[in-house]
Amino acid sequence: MTTLRVFHRLFLRPLVHDWLRTSLTVFAVAIGVAVVLAISLAGRAATGSFLSSVESLAGKADLEVTATGGVPGSVVAKLITLPRPLKVEPRIEDYAMAGKEMVPLLGIDLVADAAHGTAERGNLQWLEKGDCVWVSPGLARPRGSTIRLQLNDHSADFKVCGVLNSAASQRGGLIVMDIALAMRELGRKNRVDEVLITLPKQSTLSFSQWEQILRRALPPGVSVQPYGAQAKANRRMLDAFRWNLRILSYIALLVGAFLIYNNLSVSVVRRRAEIGILRALGASRRLIGAGFLGEAAIYGIVGSALGLVLGRFMAQGAVGMIAATVQSLYLTSQPAPISLTPSLILLAFAIGIGVALVSAILPAREAARVAPVEAMARARREYEVRIAKLRHLLIAAVCAIGGAAAAQAPALGGKPLLGYLAALLLVAACVFAIPAFVVGFASLLSPLVRRAGSVEPYLALRTLTGSLRRTSVLLAALATAIAMVVSVGIMVGSFRETVAVWLNNQLQADFYVQPAEPAGVDRYPTMSPEITERVAALPEVRAAGAIRTYPITVKGAPATLAGADTRVLSRYGRTAFVRGENSKSIFARLEAGSSVAVSEPFAIKHGIHSGETLRLPMPQGAVAFRVAGIYHDYSDPRGVILMDRNILLKYLPDPGISGLAIFLKPGVEPDAARGAILQACAGRRVTVVSNRALRTQALRVFDRTFRITYALEAIALAIAVIGMAGALLALVADRRRELGILRFLGCSARQIRKLILCEAAFIGILAILAGFVLGVLLSLILIFVINKQSFGWTIQFHWPVAVLVGAILIIYASTLAAGFYPARLGARLDPIEAVREE
Amino acid sequence: MTPFSPTRRTCCPSLSRIRGRAPATLEPVHVLEFHQVTKDYLNDGEAVRAVDSISLEVREGEFIALAGPSGCGKSTLLNLAGAMDFPTTGLVLLDGVPTSKLNDAGLTRLRRSKAGFIFQSFQLLDTLTALENVELPLLLAGERETRAAALAQLRNVEMETLADRLPHQLSGGQMQRVAIARALVHSPKVLLADEPTGNLDSVTGRRLLELLRQLNQAHSVTILMATHSLEAIAFASRILHMRDGRIEELQPSL
Repeated sequence: MTTLRVFHRLFLRPLVHDWLRTSLTVFAVAIGVAVVLAISLAGRAATGSFLSSVESLAGKADLEVTATGGVPGSVVAKLITLPRPLKVEPRIEDYAMAGKEMVPLLGIDLVADAAHGTAERGNLQWLEKGDCVWVSPGLARPRGSTIRLQLNDHSADFKVCGVLNSAASQRGGLIVMDIALAMRELGRKNRVDEVLITLPKQSTLSFSQWEQILRRALPPGVSVQPYGAQAKANRRMLDAFRWNLRILSYIALLVGAFLIYNNLSVSVVRRRAEIGILRALGASRRLIGAGFLGEAAIYGIVGSALGLVLGRFMAQGAVGMIAATVQSLYLTSQPAPISLTPSLILLAFAIGIGVALVSAILPAREAARVAPVEAMARARREYEVRIAKLRHLLIAAVCAIGGAAAAQAPALGGKPLLGYLAALLLVAACVFAIPAFVVGFASLLSPLVRRAGSVEPYLALRTLTGSLRRTSVLLAALATAIAMVVSVGIMVGSFRETVAVWLNNQLQADFYVQPAEPAGVDRYPTMSPEITERVAALPEVRAAGAIRTYPITVKGAPATLAGADTRVLSRYGRTAFVRGENSKSIFARLEAGSSVAVSEPFAIKHGIHSGETLRLPMPQGAVAFRVAGIYHDYSDPRGVILMDRNILLKYLPDPGISGLAIFLKPGVEPDAARGAILQACAGRRVTVVSNRALRTQALRVFDRTFRITYALEAIALAIAVIGMAGALLALVADRRRELGILRFLGCSARQIRKLILCEAAFIGILAILAGFVLGVLLSLILIFVINKQSFGWTIQFHWPVAVLVGAILIIYASTLAAGFYPARLGARLDPIEAVREE
Repeated sequence: MTPFSPTRRTCCPSLSRIRGRAPATLEPVHVLEFHQVTKDYLNDGEAVRAVDSISLEVREGEFIALAGPSGCGKSTLLNLAGAMDFPTTGLVLLDGVPTSKLNDAGLTRLRRSKAGFIFQSFQLLDTLTALENVELPLLLAGERETRAAALAQLRNVEMETLADRLPHQLSGGQMQRVAIARALVHSPKVLLADEPTGNLDSVTGRRLLELLRQLNQAHSVTILMATHSLEAIAFASRILHMRDGRIEELQPSL
């Protein structure tokens, strides 16, 4: 009780007294916690909907049977007729456009379900009446109404025969139809996407024995795996994505941690004399240390509580952005509702309080060490820091070397852990190098400003070097935030430029025809093959190259198998190969039949090199292909295997196409040609996109994908600016005596104001310089290590000058703005009062 | 002398110059004048009189000790003398310039040129070396060539060899010497010292007082020193005893 009273008097009261600084620190913690929470909540919501729509629709099966290009009807028949008590459920899983919404579509065997008693008997009557679908309540279509669905390259009206009421369907849009109807409408040519097998409940055979039995019964090229293997692979992929995003969100927290450290350090420094008196009055070291930790815990508790509320709101905004990224890079998903679970609430408090306590350890230790008699201790300590700057520089060098070494290491478990370690070591190197940097900067600039006769900048520089400890912590926080802006800015800018250059090379055709249902990384809508013939026959068209894509699973990881008209690609395309090989000779090998080309992300993910053999699971069994080359590709992070379309047709004889590239004859008017192409595609729901429109569209998708990244870095920066304002306020409070003396020595209020603004300006310049250098180094790690190991993309380094200049100007203006209020306070200070306090 | 005395009139032409550019150039009769000066402070909403109807004239070259118990108004009187504060009523003339007529910028300019302060706890800036501390008043006044003047002042107080030391590397006596050099570097009309020996041992304190007397006698530096110390009082040419904001008696040096 007594301890609490002491804590209240000595630690809580100053917090209330310094309410503005306390509020800024709490706010910094709150934003840090809010960002982490928002990313967790939004990440879970954006990816959770995918998991729910796939997993819950699947029901509870034991095994799944899949094949590249789909499981043939003959295999389904064989499974059904096996003399075993198995439940066999063939399924079609695809997407349909309902209005402007992309909705998962599930084709199941309703007749069999009815026979098993799992579907309503009444459904069968409906089935007899024709094109009948069941919809989720989210689609808001009453029973008996009509729904128009866009499926591949055509649209059709369906009767809504019922509204689904399962828990799964409540979570988003869903359309269910009979499998026969789905196969017809989606042009599946007697193939289903997968077959789910439920084993008998009381069986003497083990799970693996059943797996063996089925494998033996099925033809080569059809794989049997435990149910959920596909979903697991997807989940692994999404986990990696969310992991990367989480790391990014922790940077905001790191900046917040620096600020707590700064605030508590200043608090300890300011209250040294007071601590000395307390020690003299009998307060133990432990009590003093615990007091400061308690102060930090208060920042943590209040900040976390505020962060919870803020994070919930921020998640609402973030979920759309994350979902856009997930859709662009990984899977089709609809954001699920955000749910703040007790475990996340606990996590928020654990993070907020944990970070606050960890940040407070050093200041609390320092406070506990204060001797009962302290006179010039502060100045001496600052001097010690100045003396120690060379030792710190040495530590910085060690960290930098460690970082460089870690950057060379490969990914661990598919995650760029050592890349992140390298980034962390670089940040540490920067933090340790800052004291030497400040001293070097000041000694370079001081003679110049003195010569110019400006006393305020001169004094500001001396103050920065004089209070090196405080300056260094503040600069470290700001520099980290700025480095994040710079590094992510360079990385995204470089990536965008690389993609733009790649698009320029890759997109050589004048027009592209695609199914009206938009394609996604995991969606493979098709068009009628006759479109190719009709378009190729147009007098305006020089060549038309078709492409067909299929989902494929290679070594448990999803990828895309593509069959393209390599002759057209070779003649008109400009595919860039990683090792600069001649594309014509590679395409000639592809045409010959035994070779494939793979995209760079695929090669890196699977550790495949040119000349090696790649075994692909084709319907006829595993087929070995030679990798003729690795090409640059930024369209699919999961990887693409490219072969000649005619070769692909041998294995998968479905003639449907996924896209068509059209090359016009020289001199043909594009508008006229477009009209002719549209006419050739009449009766089919397709989109004809010009080269330019497709590039713009691609870059728009790109920008949408990285919106969340920009949002995160903006937040980290906001925390840093809040911290800057708080630190400058602390600076004024901390230097009341000094400012008072200056007034006694003839310094005007205006000079005081200018002095504080000069300090803010110098802190801004130093932070920008340090942050910029650190940011460029971090961008190299992001581009060449973390991105490469996460996605497998080669990004050409590019300076996004406009973005960087804009960001730096905003940062600098914010830094100066953060100095205005403290400068005003400093100028209004009563010098007599300030000097008398000492 | 009244507020309408010849001194005040002589000061008036220089007032506009102080407001505009430079302090007065015409020499007044007294360096410092207090005319019926009262200073009230608000303490918890109640007015507390720190200085009560004080009239005082300080001639150039005087060494005055301001004695009295704590809280009697010594420091307030020094602050009023050094243009750090305005009187509530009455008139304070520093080198002929009425401080209450000036705005903050004018007061600052007046202080810069006419007053030098030394404090009980030295009040050197921790981040600056001894030399830089001494240069500071000149720099704040916008002067460019400051080093030579600062070094000369440090020489006067026998601190030239320690010019590059930081305050925490100096002893108390050394710090106070640097403070004196800083207070005198811009050749003020009056040196205002608030308990200058309060934080020093007796030997160091005596040496410091000798230094002040030497500066007073050799360079005609006018000194107004608030002190408790009888030993310090003994060094003054005039002693003023204060009690409850009033000057009770004026007596020559012991």
